[in-house]
Amino acid sequence: MSEIKNIKNLKEFSTSADRFEGANLLCPGCAHSIIVREVLNATNDDLILSASTGCLEVCTAVYPYTSWDASWIHIGFENSSTAVAGAEIMYKALKKKGRLKQPERTPKFVSFAGDGASYDIGFQWISGCMERGHNMMHIVLDNEVYANTGGQRSSSTPIGSSATTSPEGKKSYGEKRNKKDMMAIMAAHGIPYVAQVAPNKWKDMVKKIQHGFAVEGPVFINAVSPCTTEWKFDPKDTMNIADLATDSLVFPLYEIIDGRELNITYRPKNIVPVEEYLAAQGRFKHLFKDEYKYLIKEWQDRVDEKWAYLQRREEARI
Amino acid sequence: MAFDKMELQKIEVWDGNRAAAQALRQAQVDVVAAYPITPSTPIVEGYAKFLADGYIEGEFAMVESEHAAMSACIGAAAAGGRVATATSSQGLALMSETLYQASGMRLPIILNLVNRALASPLNVNGDHSDMYMIRDSGWIQFDAFCPQESYDLNLIAFRVAEDHDIRLPAIVNQDGFMTSHTAQGVHTLSDDEAYAFVGEYKPMNDMLDFEHPVTHGVQTEEDWHFEHKARQHNDLMVKVIPKIKEVFADFEKLTGRKYNLVEKYDMDDADVCVVCMGSSVETAREVATEMRAKGIKAGVVGFRVFRPIPFAEIIDALKGVKAIAALDRSSPNGAAGTLFNEIAGALFNTDTKALLSGYVYGLGGRDLTKAHLTALFNELQANVDAGKVTTQLQQFIGVRGPKLAYL
Amino acid sequence: MMTKKGWDEFEIGAMLRTFNGKIDDIAGTQQQDRDYSENSSYTASVADWRLIKPIFNKDYCIDCQFCWVYCPDVSIISRDKKLIGVDMDHCKGCGICVEACPTNPKSLLMFPEQADEESEIANWPKKDEKEA
Repeated sequence: MSEIKNIKNLKEFSTSADRFEGANLLCPGCAHSIIVREVLNATNDDLILSASTGCLEVCTAVYPYTSWDASWIHIGFENSSTAVAGAEIMYKALKKKGRLKQPERTPKFVSFAGDGASYDIGFQWISGCMERGHNMMHIVLDNEVYANTGGQRSSSTPIGSSATTSPEGKKSYGEKRNKKDMMAIMAAHGIPYVAQVAPNKWKDMVKKIQHGFAVEGPVFINAVSPCTTEWKFDPKDTMNIADLATDSLVFPLYEIIDGRELNITYRPKNIVPVEEYLAAQGRFKHLFKDEYKYLIKEWQDRVDEKWAYLQRREEARI
Repeated sequence: MAFDKMELQKIEVWDGNRAAAQALRQAQVDVVAAYPITPSTPIVEGYAKFLADGYIEGEFAMVESEHAAMSACIGAAAAGGRVATATSSQGLALMSETLYQASGMRLPIILNLVNRALASPLNVNGDHSDMYMIRDSGWIQFDAFCPQESYDLNLIAFRVAEDHDIRLPAIVNQDGFMTSHTAQGVHTLSDDEAYAFVGEYKPMNDMLDFEHPVTHGVQTEEDWHFEHKARQHNDLMVKVIPKIKEVFADFEKLTGRKYNLVEKYDMDDADVCVVCMGSSVETAREVATEMRAKGIKAGVVGFRVFRPIPFAEIIDALKGVKAIAALDRSSPNGAAGTLFNEIAGALFNTDTKALLSGYVYGLGGRDLTKAHLTALFNELQANVDAGKVTTQLQQFIGVRGPKLAYL
Repeated sequence: MMTKKGWDEFEIGAMLRTFNGKIDDIAGTQQQDRDYSENSSYTASVADWRLIKPIFNKDYCIDCQFCWVYCPDVSIISRDKKLIGVDMDHCKGCGICVEACPTNPKSLLMFPEQADEESEIANWPKKDEKEA
């Protein structure tokens, strides 16, 4: 077992030597790379990485450039989880057979994928990986939309959001379905660790990633990734939007251990109204028309209800 | 070594699936990731059982779909070790996306493809629809006509695919049920002999070499994509055939069993010949011998290697023949058959005067009988006698109802 | 130059290597001490994406490292817990660092791409009393 990297404060964290490079092709202000940096910098161990087809993949391995300083693989849209699981199986085989080139080193296996590649097309692959108990971590870069193909709805797209395939219009307020509860689904696999993280809460993120790396078995992480292009906000505001997401409790930060024990890991001192979160993003602009204001109220009720549920789960310790 | 060796008889009674599983054991495959599908399942069950009994040191992952099976195989192969799996039919169809990715990333995975029909209608029996479906996927394709060849070609496939000059995945085809589930005597190698022949896996561009990080599966657009596809095609066209010949020669030295890119039977003075693949080759050979007794100079050509296409060897094998029947065990669905087209393409610029006709047969496990082949050879002889093809160019054999003939 | 290469000169499988030769301890080696290959995007530049750019004024910086952690483009260069500058080859000009900067006045501000660093630092805004 390798040592957990000591990161007591941000100054200490800033001594990390990044293993992800700039001059990638992600949009200015993209949260994906902020999340990736926080994850990779949470450990000094060797890394075996994968990414599903999507923004992260098409922007970080465009021939003849790679932005990855650790071994990395992309196969297709649906299978970043299984790609890294395959590498993990080979690691176990070669370890058993004494054929590892650097047998003293214990790598961490991490797959990245967007919400489309995780909630939708890659759902079965992730479920399989989690169920089979691979020693790996799957991280969803959840921007609630197919951003790479130009803004189509996924099953992570929240109600009322305007996506290109569920657009707002004279007779529609946009997406009609509530976001799928992937955290609950993954926790139901009974895996050692499931957590929701946000890049603005870097310390919470690092703690959870380190916990995920320390446990034996599959780990699922859902990371909110504000998308300047599809959520329609100024690139400089990425972290401000992330703050609104966590502080309005639209994205509550919590973890579920062994599929049962739920811990809330961040309680905002001042809970921000959901309305403020929605108002900051162009994808919800139409909800502020008179006829759709009831949706904002419904949304606030939903967030309150979920927060109450999470607190009850936490108290119940079951 | 933390595994037990298995004492094999000189000749074991194995079906094609058992023979393939034993070859995977003897090659000490590091990782098998698989999903069950009839009729290929016993191959991966065999690996799992050998592992459970301590005859293999490796890892077996029973995943949740064929797409995931090949995805995991790709991840495992890129990590740096020997990888194999097996599938058939719909399973191959589901994993077909990843087949192109495996070959494009130049990962030498061995896939046992136990040939089976493609739905709809659903059918579990043998034909070559699956083999043909992924013919342009960049995989090397060997074809075993019987269980012995399933065993031999698996051992050969590892040697060819994993060679650092080649680094391409390879498929070993065998007919569903007719080969996969038909037990025959199989001459074996000892575990040591077989492993020495296959050799240690030599990693290349392996992800698990932490001192040399690699990026696999990049995006290439119009400014780079063509060059990489050209390289892959070039290596298939230029490097694979000589390598296969070299490994076939080594295998003959070891076992006395001689393999050729194109298997010729009584072709030296043949007037008429059948070209086919799979278990039909053996039936056709038996009938050809009977035809010779009746005064018809019949021969048989079987494709041992389907990809890369052994173009020169096809031309050579068919030199001097007067009438050729191309037998396709897959519905061409609106075209001439694949073997018909391959042969026509090979012979078109030669000075052959051979008459070429195509036959579609055996779909979904329908038997190709000796009577069918006898009639077929007679038809070819009639073509020779008439100096032209006396039938339509494409005929269906063995299907109920009014005669089907086209072109 | 990669663009001059023919089909027969690339690594098979379109595989890319990040570094020239061997690297022992990547996580323990800062970027300036790594031998990147021509295929690492570290060797590339996206400076021409920028319309506005951050200028760093070290006089007000408290080395809190919020700009370092939230920079999407690995462009805030911190060494030994000190912010030493902005990597202008990799900065895309998003402005997140300025938003994240907690000092008063800010130690990072956005300016038009053609702005002169020396004169902008000389004319740096004074402390905002209202905010304080």
